[in-house]
Amino acid sequence: MKLRHAMVVLRKELVDALRDKRSLLSALVFPLVGPLLVVVMFRMIIEQQDVDEPVQLPVVGAEHAPGLVDFLERHEIEVMPPPDDPHEAVRTGAAKAVLVIPAEYPTRFREGRAAELELLVDRSRKESRSSVQRVERAVEGFSGQLGTMRLLARGVDPQLARPVALARVDLATPQQRAADILGMIPMFVAMAAFIGGLYVATDGTAGERERGSLEPLLVNPVDRRALAGGKWLATAALSAGSVVLTLVTSGIALRQTPLSELGIDVQFSAMDALQLAIVMLPMSLLAAGLQLVVATFARSFREAQTYLSLFMFLPMLPGMYMTTASLDPAPWMSFVPILGQQVLMTAIIRGEGLDPAALAIASTMAIAVGLMCVLWTARLFGRERIIYGN
Amino acid sequence: MIRTESLHKRYGEKLAVDDVSFTAPDGRITGLLGPNGAGKTTTLRMISTLVRPDRGRAEVDGHDAQTDRDGVLRRLGILPDARGLYPRLTARENVRYFGRLQDVAEDELEREMTRLFDLLDMGELADRRVHGFSQGERMKVAIARALIHRPQNVVLDEPTNGLDVMSTRAMRDLVRRLRDEGRCVVFSSHVMQEVAALCDEIVVVARGRVVARGTPDALRDQTGNRDLEEAFVAIIGSEEGLGA
Repeated sequence: MKLRHAMVVLRKELVDALRDKRSLLSALVFPLVGPLLVVVMFRMIIEQQDVDEPVQLPVVGAEHAPGLVDFLERHEIEVMPPPDDPHEAVRTGAAKAVLVIPAEYPTRFREGRAAELELLVDRSRKESRSSVQRVERAVEGFSGQLGTMRLLARGVDPQLARPVALARVDLATPQQRAADILGMIPMFVAMAAFIGGLYVATDGTAGERERGSLEPLLVNPVDRRALAGGKWLATAALSAGSVVLTLVTSGIALRQTPLSELGIDVQFSAMDALQLAIVMLPMSLLAAGLQLVVATFARSFREAQTYLSLFMFLPMLPGMYMTTASLDPAPWMSFVPILGQQVLMTAIIRGEGLDPAALAIASTMAIAVGLMCVLWTARLFGRERIIYGN
Repeated sequence: MIRTESLHKRYGEKLAVDDVSFTAPDGRITGLLGPNGAGKTTTLRMISTLVRPDRGRAEVDGHDAQTDRDGVLRRLGILPDARGLYPRLTARENVRYFGRLQDVAEDELEREMTRLFDLLDMGELADRRVHGFSQGERMKVAIARALIHRPQNVVLDEPTNGLDVMSTRAMRDLVRRLRDEGRCVVFSSHVMQEVAALCDEIVVVARGRVVARGTPDALRDQTGNRDLEEAFVAIIGSEEGLGA
């Protein structure tokens, strides 16, 4: 096999790909969108932190229920004078909710009948949801407290009226949620590895056959491993480009996010980005190999694209597996391509550094699988069914 | 020189090529004539090493198509049934790519491209991207690509398919020129007039078999028909696929 031939193919495929607007777009758009998503999610968390501030609740007829108003005030709900048109205020979002206490409330209350209150809300407004929930909980709490007192006054054990008690224990702090989001960056980077070379892999295999240039290409006195190898390197190069771009945009995005407001101390340094790039380069070679062999098998350009779009989600599997099986990083994981890379990346993001032995194993495995895919592709190029597509 | 010896190829139930033997000498134009589906393309694919015959062999200048693939492909210029180009590359880049894969030295490659583009009268096309080229223009690029390594033997599968009158004429001139340079030219066609106008030697193929071979005159004599078209019908026993 002549390496020179592989280089000729690599060069041609790169020139071809760089002139292809679609392939460039797919390699460029994702690295920009992924990190942007991270920033947006961080912003959402920071905004949700405001939850602990008192909720302002306009109340109509507050004078009918001083006890309730007092209870609400003690539970960080600030009772406000009602707007002129409560319905309109809720609908326009001027008020997140309005509590209406009807005039007959005191009478019903004294008679021991259920005293009805109205809470005006607009469920389509997501931003008011948590305020509404807090008001509802407070009113339920008030109601529960009163009920308990009434039962006690009648000599009944209040526990009879509460057969089941559910206590919700929310352990997620904003910091933990933020750390989860930070953990998505390795996944975005891994997905970028599968997106960058998608069009080149398709164009150089199923596309080559579909436009009728595969047969002419194969009647050159060139080792098919050199052909497959050149296409492999071209695909991997675009994949790596996409990875590097994702790392750069992630770095910029994280710097723009006020992580300190969440009390997170994340140092996403250039060194971290470099280490991530070193971890991901073999993954690009793996992704390129897999894509090449799959696209060669596909019966048409479209079919190949469909398959490879599904492959994009492959890097999400190890992360999901680790979460659902609640696994901690273990040494054996280095031997599983993609999973090994993900463990390494997570360690870097957490500031635990890069384990050279694990890196060596994970990289060797990824490159080995990629190379096997290339040899397989080369064999496929010799099959009549693949050459002529019938 | 291209030689086939008792080539056989079966696809499932269908016997695509059933005993095809012929010799195409240097300095001659040999035409494979036969209706569509007669086995011409499969035969040419076996010569160009991509299809493995079930039986028999094909050789180019003594190199066996199955055991010495590179030896065959270096001596062979092929215009296959599929002749797709890379639309985002210019004509010159398309040809250069194949020239490099054929190990043509860079300076020689540029010289040969200039010569071929000149010969094919495609000077102003050379540095335009192939996307949007007409059928005839595409064909010129495909031909230049197939000839860039100056092969001694040339195989053309239905080279005038889809071409207009002017392009067809240019193609015929080129084929004669290749012959006059002393090369071995094999081309397939289902159009009788074309084969008659161009070929020194005709191999008539029908249902995977060679049913007649010889010069146009010999074929006329063999069937007793003055008209070659009548002779052709008499030989293959039907009028199927005779459309010009």
